Amino acid sequence: MTADHNNPSPPQGQRPPFPPSAPSGPTAVTGLPVFTSQARTTPEPLAEAFTRSPAPVRSLYIHIPFCAHRCHYCDFYSIVDTRDRAEPFISRLIEELRAQAPAAQGQPLETIFIGGGTPTLLPVPLWDRLLTALDSLYDLSLMRTGMGEWTVECNPETATAELFDRLARGGINRLSMGAQSFNQTLLDKLDRRHNPDNVYRALDLAKQAGIERTSIDLIFAIPGQTLEQWDADIRTALDLGTTHLSAYALTYEPNTPLTARLRRGEFEPAAEDTEVEMFEHAGRVLAGAGLPRYEVSNFAAEGQECRHNLAYWRQDPWLAAGPSASGHLLAPGGLAAGSHRWKNTPRLDTYLDHSHRGFAPVNDHEPPEPPRLIAETLMTGLRLREGVDRTGLLARTEALGLAEALRQAAKEHEDSGMLVVDAGRWVLSDSGLLFADGIASDLMAAVL
Amino acid sequence: MQIRNFSIIAHIDHGKSTLADRLLQATNAVTDREAKEQLLDSMELERERGITIKASAVTVFHTHNGEQYMLNFIDTPGHVDFGYEVSRALKACEGALLVVDAAQGVEAQTVVNTYLAVAQDVDIMPVLNKIDLPGAQPEEVAMEVEQVLGLPAEDCMLVSAKTGQGIPELLTAICERFPAPRKSLIPEARALIFDAIYDDYRGVVIYIRVFDGTIKVGDKIRMMGLERTHQITELGKYTPKPTKVKQLGAGEAGYLVAAIKTLADVRVGDTITSELNPAAEPLEGYEPPRQMVFCDLYPATTTKKGTDFEDMRDAIEKLSINDASFTSQTVHSEALGFGFRCGFLGLLHMDIVQERLEREFDLEIVQTAPTVSYKVDIRGKGGEITEIEVHNPADLPDMGSVMAIKEPIARVEIMVPKEYIGDIMKLALERRGIYKTQTYVSETRELLTFEIPLAELIFDFYDKLKSTTAGYGTMDYELSEYRQDNLCKVDVLINGEPVEALSLITHRDKSEARGRSLLVRLRKQIPRHQFEIPLQAAIGGKIIARETIKGFRKDVTAKCYGGDVSRKRKLLDKQRKGKDRMKSIGSVSIPQEAFMAVLDVGE
Repeated sequence: MTADHNNPSPPQGQRPPFPPSAPSGPTAVTGLPVFTSQARTTPEPLAEAFTRSPAPVRSLYIHIPFCAHRCHYCDFYSIVDTRDRAEPFISRLIEELRAQAPAAQGQPLETIFIGGGTPTLLPVPLWDRLLTALDSLYDLSLMRTGMGEWTVECNPETATAELFDRLARGGINRLSMGAQSFNQTLLDKLDRRHNPDNVYRALDLAKQAGIERTSIDLIFAIPGQTLEQWDADIRTALDLGTTHLSAYALTYEPNTPLTARLRRGEFEPAAEDTEVEMFEHAGRVLAGAGLPRYEVSNFAAEGQECRHNLAYWRQDPWLAAGPSASGHLLAPGGLAAGSHRWKNTPRLDTYLDHSHRGFAPVNDHEPPEPPRLIAETLMTGLRLREGVDRTGLLARTEALGLAEALRQAAKEHEDSGMLVVDAGRWVLSDSGLLFADGIASDLMAAVL
Repeated sequence: MQIRNFSIIAHIDHGKSTLADRLLQATNAVTDREAKEQLLDSMELERERGITIKASAVTVFHTHNGEQYMLNFIDTPGHVDFGYEVSRALKACEGALLVVDAAQGVEAQTVVNTYLAVAQDVDIMPVLNKIDLPGAQPEEVAMEVEQVLGLPAEDCMLVSAKTGQGIPELLTAICERFPAPRKSLIPEARALIFDAIYDDYRGVVIYIRVFDGTIKVGDKIRMMGLERTHQITELGKYTPKPTKVKQLGAGEAGYLVAAIKTLADVRVGDTITSELNPAAEPLEGYEPPRQMVFCDLYPATTTKKGTDFEDMRDAIEKLSINDASFTSQTVHSEALGFGFRCGFLGLLHMDIVQERLEREFDLEIVQTAPTVSYKVDIRGKGGEITEIEVHNPADLPDMGSVMAIKEPIARVEIMVPKEYIGDIMKLALERRGIYKTQTYVSETRELLTFEIPLAELIFDFYDKLKSTTAGYGTMDYELSEYRQDNLCKVDVLINGEPVEALSLITHRDKSEARGRSLLVRLRKQIPRHQFEIPLQAAIGGKIIARETIKGFRKDVTAKCYGGDVSRKRKLLDKQRKGKDRMKSIGSVSIPQEAFMAVLDVGE
């Protein structure tokens, strides 16, 4: 009797698809691995998905986690680095980008978005390394010709001519400027460290560097803000010649200092009526200026919409690298088969110290489930003024036996006039847009 | 052989069950090895809560002055909810040991139990227990017994059930001071059913006290009230182990088995006689127990409605088999689906039933706030007046046809340290109480007597009493009568639609305040909708209070980017699940909690 007969492990050369050593972590009763915030591994089915994408992935998100300071309303993952971790971070990021590159299948990327944190806080030599690596790992040809869209998020106070030059040479052709407001008092309320002048200067520098497309982020419904002040902010942004504007109602995210201060009663939040008035005012003024709303919080001149974000909202796949970055990959079989969603570990140290063939430790992985993808399509799609493809969704739900339920759920909102059927699409009316969450959740409930 | 039949009555925790166990030991009914604490309490729950729920009858033998005595003692529940059971146990006895904690003194329940014993005309022997405690003050407590209960202080027996001190003397006193049972008045057999329990193996086991004649195994018996006949298959006594006997003679107590399948076939208080040689008249019986407190029980999970309801129905049926004093009927609530409206003897009884359902049947239960049983005079179409019983405000007919609403009134005894008298007076008056008497108990304590509507007692009165008196106050109550008062039904309208499940019966003077407090709670519980929702409380057609839930104007998250998709989807899913659990009244979604919180309106 040889040892082989007693050894349950398969013989060499016939490794099981998921080596027992790869995905660890506790296992739920469903058999699906559960990944907690302590997760230090990448689920193998996800790692495999990068090489099994049914079509080339054309979008990439990169998260740079460093900030000089954490703003009080912000709930994005960012850290104020007290140790010098930027260099090892870039090395690790490049390793991850290399691991994910096969998903592009040699095809040129159409959109890249580098967000944070504060990407512009990264020193130029590190940008140099990152841009060089990207150039060698991915086909960036569309960026150079202007056919592609490559955005970097920019905090106005970090803008320098040298940095913008380097970005422009690397192919970056769009900046998203976190202005938030042009009113110093309101900026102070948000605990922002820049002043309005920084924004004008940063935009000038961008223009000088040849980065033509800029977007300005504004926040409204700031405690104490008046409609006049909001109007002034919008007009200032327009005067600066921006062709894209994001206008967010201030949101009190859990676990932020701002929310804690609200709970302590340090200030009165804006009244709901005021918020609605500001939301509608922005829509009117910006449409009049040639930048109609194309998503709940986004406005653009024709052709100037953020294509990267549209990819998110239209449920296209995208790669995502860096701590806390979230990505989306279609399962083999395409839309009907559902999609993987994952979120990298948010902890920089965990990100730096662990690598699964280059992939980052994953905090949360949702394996493909066709109904889930349909629900998500409704959720993000109804926020777009273009709406969702009703015909396509009904065909997909028909295959799952859920079409009638979806039709029923939609009917109530169609009857109230909030949801409109238009050329084979479901589109929210102006009044419906203000209730997008509730309507989406009703429709989603029909398929989930 | 001499026979003595007696009960033990006491305030909770004054050591009744421990004393019973000690008597068993002292008469060698159980060996020390067998002795376990509170032998007579059989249910797990009873043991845990330290209270006795079902009466048990135990027979022991004792030799006194060279003569053999058969001592039948009948354990009684310690709480007033089971006052009915106390009374019927006493009916089978000639004597009662009134146990008083020598450290705590006379408490409210001691007083009420004494009233019950006096009403049954049994001889009361006060027993001061726990004299071994350092804080025991037997002399002072004996004075309290004399002062408050009118029993001579020198009659008090001093014992420690824990150490056994005074137990032989107590046995002697039981033999010497309690009267022997009366002789047979007639030759025909007559036995009183004073309790019945359900046993999984033998069916119904009936506890009887034979007053006249003799009952034998194999006899055909007739229950005179229910007019049913059965054949006795087993007679016996608990010693405390069940011990079969051939017959039970006049004056004896024991158990009887006759292949009876359900408790519904037995009426406690009924008289058993011989089928072949029946007595002409039954013994004096007692009133069947009255359910005074009502609440609805629903399965807590409504997601798999059907099965949970079925499970609950099974559990309630099983429970009724061995607790005949609780009633149930199927109800349907707009908010909570199918459930049961249950009637209980009192609040403790209600708690016990709920706990047993949860513990023994592993059910999760939603319990609505308790209400009392009202008697309502209504005028019919022809002008005739009929009285109906209503224990759910929703069942109250239109106020136009209601001529009078009568509510149960409790006579409440409250024992308090002197310094709290003012606070207790205030509390009782706030609850529509009528002050009756104040009795000196000792240097430090007084006994206050009030008449308080039961409906006012069942809302946290006991908790308030405890918190007002730093835990020192004790209370007990007996129902005295139904009394008409200026009561009315308050309707609640949500968005103009009356919601029966939210209506309540209250005194007119309190209607506005209660209506308002109810609306305020509702306003907090009902989520905002896309439109404004008026909330109104009304008596008849007249609005007495109003609140408004403002409509929300937006329901849309500002940001939803790549990383937010999973999080937001889960959030919407969660919100949606919350919405699904709500009940739609017209176009308004009302969460279950709103119905629950509203039922808690105590003030």
